[in-house]
Amino acid sequence: MDGMFFALLGASIATALAGIGSAKGVGGAAQAAMGVLSEDSSQFGKMLVLTLLPGTQGLYGFIVGFLILVSCGVLGGSAPTLAQGLCFLGASLAIGLGGLFSGIAQGKAAVSGIAMSAKDSKNFSKGMVSVTLVEIYALLAFIVSLLVVIQIPNLAI
Amino acid sequence: MKTVRIVALRQDRKRLLEHLQDSALVQIKRVEKSRSGFERVDMSRPMQVFERNVTLTEQALKILDSVSPEKGGMLASLKGRREVDPDEIGEIAAKSGEVISICKRLAELDKKRSDNSAERTRIATQLVQLEAWQKLDIPLNTTETKSTAVFVGTFPEQYSEAALKEAIAAENPKLEFVTEIDHSEEAMTCAVIFVPQSQRTMAEDVLRTLGFARPMGATSKIPKVKSERLREKSERLRLENEMAEDEIKSLVPRRSDIKITQDYFRIRADKYNVINNLDHSKHVFIIEGFVPEDDCEKLKELCERVATCTVDFEDAGDDAPVKLKNNKFAEPAQGILTMYSPPGKGDLDPTPLLAFFFYFFFGMMFSDAGYGLLMVIVIGIALKVFKPDKKMRNNLKLFQYCGISTTVWGLVFGSIFGDAPASLYNYFAGTTDMTMAKLLPWPTLDPQKDALLLMVISIAFGLVHILVGMGCKFVVCFREKDYAAAFFDTGLWMLLLIGLAVLAAGMFLAPVLVTVGAVIAIGCAVGLVLTQGRGKKGIVGKAIGGLASLYDVTSYISDLLSYSRLLALGLTTGVMAQVFNMLATMMGKSVVGFIFMVIIFIAGHLINIGLNALGSYVHTMRLQYVEMFSKFYEGGGKEFEPFSLQSKYIKIQEDNK
Repeated sequence: MDGMFFALLGASIATALAGIGSAKGVGGAAQAAMGVLSEDSSQFGKMLVLTLLPGTQGLYGFIVGFLILVSCGVLGGSAPTLAQGLCFLGASLAIGLGGLFSGIAQGKAAVSGIAMSAKDSKNFSKGMVSVTLVEIYALLAFIVSLLVVIQIPNLAI
Repeated sequence: MKTVRIVALRQDRKRLLEHLQDSALVQIKRVEKSRSGFERVDMSRPMQVFERNVTLTEQALKILDSVSPEKGGMLASLKGRREVDPDEIGEIAAKSGEVISICKRLAELDKKRSDNSAERTRIATQLVQLEAWQKLDIPLNTTETKSTAVFVGTFPEQYSEAALKEAIAAENPKLEFVTEIDHSEEAMTCAVIFVPQSQRTMAEDVLRTLGFARPMGATSKIPKVKSERLREKSERLRLENEMAEDEIKSLVPRRSDIKITQDYFRIRADKYNVINNLDHSKHVFIIEGFVPEDDCEKLKELCERVATCTVDFEDAGDDAPVKLKNNKFAEPAQGILTMYSPPGKGDLDPTPLLAFFFYFFFGMMFSDAGYGLLMVIVIGIALKVFKPDKKMRNNLKLFQYCGISTTVWGLVFGSIFGDAPASLYNYFAGTTDMTMAKLLPWPTLDPQKDALLLMVISIAFGLVHILVGMGCKFVVCFREKDYAAAFFDTGLWMLLLIGLAVLAAGMFLAPVLVTVGAVIAIGCAVGLVLTQGRGKKGIVGKAIGGLASLYDVTSYISDLLSYSRLLALGLTTGVMAQVFNMLATMMGKSVVGFIFMVIIFIAGHLINIGLNALGSYVHTMRLQYVEMFSKFYEGGGKEFEPFSLQSKYIKIQEDNK
């Protein structure tokens, strides 16, 4: 038995969980942004930036999922051994869970940022920077997943 | 920055202020109270007139837009203001009266349009109400003839003629009556009831209990005739509206005139607003303000040329506004700096450093030669075609420089629209093993394969960035002669970080560096423990303060780790591009497959550019604001806002002097 099932499970977990986090984050932010836009549609650009900020987690998850697919024989590479498959699964948990919760948290921060810059558009850059403070944790999770996923095909296990 | 005081004759006021406004050299100070012996001139009345004219023209433009929207959409916002010859101003002023009357006419037409529409809606509801009475051949408000009482109205129930008769008879069998039903539907019956005059009260009682009501807004006309009249009126209003709309449309070509006039009045209102705040005596008036040091001579020369006046300069105090002055390379980044906060008192102007690192980090995150070139070319064309104003031009320039850096990093990472050259080669040649590394003649650094190396490089760049920030702090402290803060608070930390970096490098390169690094780091740590408690009282306090300061090392580590985003975002761009290339070439080599490829290729890369350019912009900004500025930059200054032409559509050409 090879580890294909676990590798694919890992790819799904990375993509889906991080995607859920981003979807929740962007969804909430978009609602708040539309509230602001109904009053003042000239703020569209700024609102778009703040709304998209929690969207990166989904991208990170997708990239990890894609790299797993590339290296486990679906889109290239060779089929993983059982141990390698389990490693893929383990590595994907970092961005899956990290992306899920940081996406939701960043969405909340983005909602506040939107409220703040709606009151005074001078606050926009401060709001934007504050929202990206949350992102570092998604980034760290992503880098851990990434470094492991890249190395797994080279592991003799 | 200097303060300036200009004392000039009142008769020159108009000329002088016009020239000051055109040249935008001075920021005029606003003082609440006039000094003794001087008084203010009340200009609020003409100012109100001008402001009302501005509002009027704004309204007029909106009305014109509602009839024929201006072409250009999003791109129009890039367009610079039209240049106007100074001599044209007189013409504009002469025409302004006519333009304002056009604006008034537009407002009138618009009001008529909306009134008519409201009236038509009202007529429409009336017609619906009359619909039920079309069969009736007497006026709706008929109440009696000589011998009979007439009741025209509705019951809140559905009756047939027989059922209605029955219902009335059930209430009062003695009542003699004739009914006619004109219309009946669910929960409503429109009917006419005739009774002898003698039984009028009796009938009223009966009808009341049955819920009878006379129709609203009953008229003395027969319903059918009334409906006809209303329809005619509605039609007339519609025609009137069409005519009004045609007239508005015929005024659309005057749009540019209206815009110019709006600016003309806006400029005049600004000028009068300034006059309001100036001190006047019988013959002279005083202007006080700030002027950048380099412009002093120019200002003096200008004032003396156009007016009889004296101009004095003095050194400005702490409340002076800041005017940033940078070379072409750094100027575009000023916007990023002012978005954070203009430099306060004692701050360095960090724009050149900010500019360099902004371009550098943006390029590293966006890192694709194809996207970079696209940015440079598209922005280049936009600059040529639209000739945007200074602010917009600087914003575009910022991204153009970022584009250059993006191209360079893209070549380093071997990414041109992701792996497009290699995957297109594979697509057309039918091979599967072509890679970017084989295709490009220079050695590339593949973020996917050498992720760990790139992470180390990212953090090393981060260390440089942070050290530069701390270096600025060092310079600031040194300039303020706070040597203890310069050497102990900043210098020791910088050395400590360098020591740790040497130590880390030594672990991979040479063991001797480990020793060197460790010695430096430990030496600095000891130094920090000894010096950081210097503000505290007593030996114990000093020792605890010194030891506690070492805890700051965690914040430096988290700052450094934050630079791993350089790797993460760089990788994101590359991988996403690769994904789209893979999708694009998936359908194989056929006509359909080729069309599919072109569509996916263009759409995919556009999406990737949008998402990742935004990410790179935001995260680069964060690295500047949070990681670098926190080391030295105070901000809190005010921007220099000179008295100038605050126009939206036109700008005055500088006369050649």
